[in-house]
Amino acid sequence: MLSNRRLPDLKIRDLRDDYCEFELSNTDVSMANALRRVMLVEVPTIAVDLVEIEQNTTVLNDEFIAHRLGLIPLVSTAVHHMKGPFDDIGEKDFTDVELSLHVLCTSDDTQDVTSNDFILDHQHPEVYPVGYSDSRMQSEDAERPILIVKMRKNQELKLKAIARKGIGKDHAKWIPVATVTFQHKPQISINRALMDTLDEKVKEAFVDASPSHALSYNSVTKQVEVTETEAYMYDGEYEKMAQELHHPDLITITQSDNEFIFRVEGTGVLSVEDVIITAVDVLTAKLRNLQQALPPPEQNEGEN
Amino acid sequence: MTVATGADTGATFALEDEDHTLANALRFLLNKNPHVSFVGYSIPHPSEKVVNLRIQTTGELTAVEALRQACQSLKQLCGHMRSTFTEAYEQYEQTQGSDESP
Repeated sequence: MLSNRRLPDLKIRDLRDDYCEFELSNTDVSMANALRRVMLVEVPTIAVDLVEIEQNTTVLNDEFIAHRLGLIPLVSTAVHHMKGPFDDIGEKDFTDVELSLHVLCTSDDTQDVTSNDFILDHQHPEVYPVGYSDSRMQSEDAERPILIVKMRKNQELKLKAIARKGIGKDHAKWIPVATVTFQHKPQISINRALMDTLDEKVKEAFVDASPSHALSYNSVTKQVEVTETEAYMYDGEYEKMAQELHHPDLITITQSDNEFIFRVEGTGVLSVEDVIITAVDVLTAKLRNLQQALPPPEQNEGEN
Repeated sequence: MTVATGADTGATFALEDEDHTLANALRFLLNKNPHVSFVGYSIPHPSEKVVNLRIQTTGELTAVEALRQACQSLKQLCGHMRSTFTEAYEQYEQTQGSDESP
């Protein structure tokens, strides 16, 4: 009964703290796109959602600062134990993480208020701005903190920022990644017989037709070779050149519809592998939800 | 979710709080099912979070059953993808050595 689906293959090409590149094959665009969309807007993270301002004599107005606070990436590994503001809440669950900030400028020079000035929630010290280092133990190799506002003498900013769980669909501040893209793998095939009819100069010019340099000319074998398939940008330059040479069949370039190259760039909020795994889990949860909502089966049909 | 209209072989499902992410994936799988004669979805209004999914079958199975099977397939796909990724991740970590933090 379930023969109409294929099980995808996956190969990781590159994996760093904030970047992952993998190949997803033997599946369809609908699946690849569902995965991409879930990674982008349905993987929950933590971000500042409510700001209570006690004192603000800086040049920026309250709303402006509240907006800037929302966009500060907070390390969200704790999100898996957290509940959203509209979920059913049990005794042990928590929905809010309270960060506070109080800076008064006393020097004659301009003072920066940054993400390092936050005082963390002592109950949830695992939620902190990306690159955070306590101002009392600033090390030299620490990442540069995120600037919130600049102050002059006697200006003051005192506030309480409440961070909550949320998803990118509700507000872009909860998006767990910088970008997620997938690309169809290009398939380039050269008509050897036709290519052999061309002379050297033309072959060299043909190779240079596209700035992507997917093709190269091998001066030893005197052949045009496909060297960087993935560098091809679907710019249509090789096909155009082939047309101009009156040999439209010289080269065929198609998009593979079952091989995809995914590129996920993280922001430091969650590790990229966590984003990918959570995305699959979110998708599974959606399906489970839908299945449960369906009326129960009347007779037992052959499922396997 | 509500089953808005339909006989056994044809039904329209209104999926609340869903969008193209799920609807398109389901549509694709249902389209591959030989017992499904028609499947399509629409989002009547962009600010209303609802997807209308229409399924008509050739009679061998009910529309509800077709949707259930599609869900099952997609769930298996997700499960497979999760394990393949975890496997690939562990393998990658091994080959890269311990110079990277997990």
